Amino acid sequence: MDTGGLDELDFGTLSTVSVRGTAIEMLTAGSGAPLLFLHGLDGLEGSAGVLRELARHFTVYAPSHPGFGGSERPARLDRVDDLGYFYLDLLTLLALDRPVIAGVSFGAWAAAEMLTKEPGRAAHLVLASPLGLPTANRREQHVADIFMLSRQELGARMQLGDPTPGSDMAVLTRLPEERIRRLMRNDEAASLYGWTPYMANPKLGDRLHRIAPPALILWGSDDAIVSAEYRAAWADAMPQAAVETMPDAGHRLHADQPGAFANRVAQFAAR
Amino acid sequence: MKIWQFSEQAYHPAFQVPGAMRVTLPQHHCDPAEAGQLLNRYLDEYLLADELGLNIMVNEHHAAATCMSTSCMTTLAILARQTSKARLLALGIPLANRSNPLRVAEEIAMVDCLSGGRLEVGLVKGAAYELFMSNRQPTGFMDRFWEAHDLILDALGNTGDNFAWEGEHFHYRTASLWPRPIQQPRPPMWGTASSASSAREYGRRDYTCATFLSGAVARSVFTGYREAYLEAHGRQASQDKLAYLALVACANDRATAFRRAEQMKSYFTTAARLDPQFRNPWGFNAVEANVRMLQAGPSAMRPRMRNGQPLPVDGTIEQYMDAGLFFVGTPDDVYEQLAQFHGETGGFGNLLMMGQAGELDHADTADNLTLVAREVAPRLADLPEIPFEIRYEAVG
Repeated sequence: MDTGGLDELDFGTLSTVSVRGTAIEMLTAGSGAPLLFLHGLDGLEGSAGVLRELARHFTVYAPSHPGFGGSERPARLDRVDDLGYFYLDLLTLLALDRPVIAGVSFGAWAAAEMLTKEPGRAAHLVLASPLGLPTANRREQHVADIFMLSRQELGARMQLGDPTPGSDMAVLTRLPEERIRRLMRNDEAASLYGWTPYMANPKLGDRLHRIAPPALILWGSDDAIVSAEYRAAWADAMPQAAVETMPDAGHRLHADQPGAFANRVAQFAAR
Repeated sequence: MKIWQFSEQAYHPAFQVPGAMRVTLPQHHCDPAEAGQLLNRYLDEYLLADELGLNIMVNEHHAAATCMSTSCMTTLAILARQTSKARLLALGIPLANRSNPLRVAEEIAMVDCLSGGRLEVGLVKGAAYELFMSNRQPTGFMDRFWEAHDLILDALGNTGDNFAWEGEHFHYRTASLWPRPIQQPRPPMWGTASSASSAREYGRRDYTCATFLSGAVARSVFTGYREAYLEAHGRQASQDKLAYLALVACANDRATAFRRAEQMKSYFTTAARLDPQFRNPWGFNAVEANVRMLQAGPSAMRPRMRNGQPLPVDGTIEQYMDAGLFFVGTPDDVYEQLAQFHGETGGFGNLLMMGQAGELDHADTADNLTLVAREVAPRLADLPEIPFEIRYEAVG
């Protein structure tokens, strides 16, 4: 299978799909019911482990968001609100009527944006460590500002387990050029979508009530990025969702508990 | 060669506080009464520069003990009224820290009027770390920079009806400068460059091109400028289109000059005190520039000494002199060092001189400026133009 040098994705096929003229990199893997997976700030490669697990249960479609990894970005697509529309177009292109949709962190925000616009477009929705609601109230910060942390500190805080390779400058500079380029594109895209308002769409909270399919919000028990107040805000804004906490997991709970995460998604989708 | 006095107007008492000097340094370390005394002292030194026949350069930074000038146009508004002869250079107005380009044009016009047409203007990106204070969007910055630049120039030079501006990034119902600038179509424009490729843009635009503390790289910057200038305008750029920024410590004897240089050196060591995540906010530099920087390693951007080694941040005065960042000694010494550097770089017509830096006190600064103005400047004024021969050396 051709995964363009991303060996950790060798259980699937990395291909390019054109969404209304924008070339998007997408991993396809596994068999079973369709599942759209939307990655976090760690890029598609940062979700390799959980994608391998999900592919045991589902036919997984995992695009790199526009601007991340190897995906192009239309010039005016610069809000996660725009990403919501973009992925609805992708579903149409892939002829996926009502897949399971699972997103992690930044990707959970994008998934929520999609379903506020077409509330019935998923069979089930799983939001893991979602961002997207206002992250602060004046001087009270509810989500750590990733742009203010050193690469090393951020890398260490994102999960309980080992940090991603890009978290250590000494390792980062020795990565193959194409890997460095992907990481720099991921950082740039995080800044584009999340610099200000910081990792939030101020209007999202007023729209979440529209989301129709069974929904599950998952938090890591040891998330060092989002606070308890922020989790409560999600529960308030989306009362129709079940909320669960996964033990022994940080913000990147998909990296800390890939097997348990995939099992929980499969179990929830079988309801 | 024209000389421009420049000071970053540091709050040097805070240099003793451990840790970063920018972004994260808590403001309670600033005693505002002491800050006011220092700011007035630096203004006095600018006034002295004017009396001595030197020109004046002002910059700005934000959330930094290393530079208390948080608005170069505010500082220049004072100097516009209190000086009489000096050209007044803003280098520069950081567009990364400005949300409203029409306001930038208004301030330029007002200061140009106040000064009787003595203002010169550099529109610059700004230090990357400024974005943490201005909170401007890091991505797509250069697109916004050039749109803001074009709008500012249109507003400054407009002699027709008021106009509306509906750009990609900026939107104004009506642009109307009251007052408009004395110098038409605009004050002389400057840009800053650290490579031949960035200098070429300014050559094409006929702007004055300055390179800061770049040592041997200055030759490549100037050559890139001169090539592009010749190609765009069909004539050679005069050396007054080129500028170099460095520190100067001058005294009647070498021991005093080196003592002064040691007091100024904290400019270099404090400038380096910034937590790494603030140096390069995600999305500010182009992806390809970041890839090249990471592959080149952290010392690639350091100026080089003559032996090819990177200049250590805590290097000796002699090492800073060797790299072309510091000119130190008696008036004869300083003249000879500058004349040599002038020749090595292919010639430049403006020395942006940090005649005050770091902890250098008022008496030493005043003597430094006086010696440079009286004993070095007249000889530098006679440095010849060096004919430009294209040798295909401006790479990068």
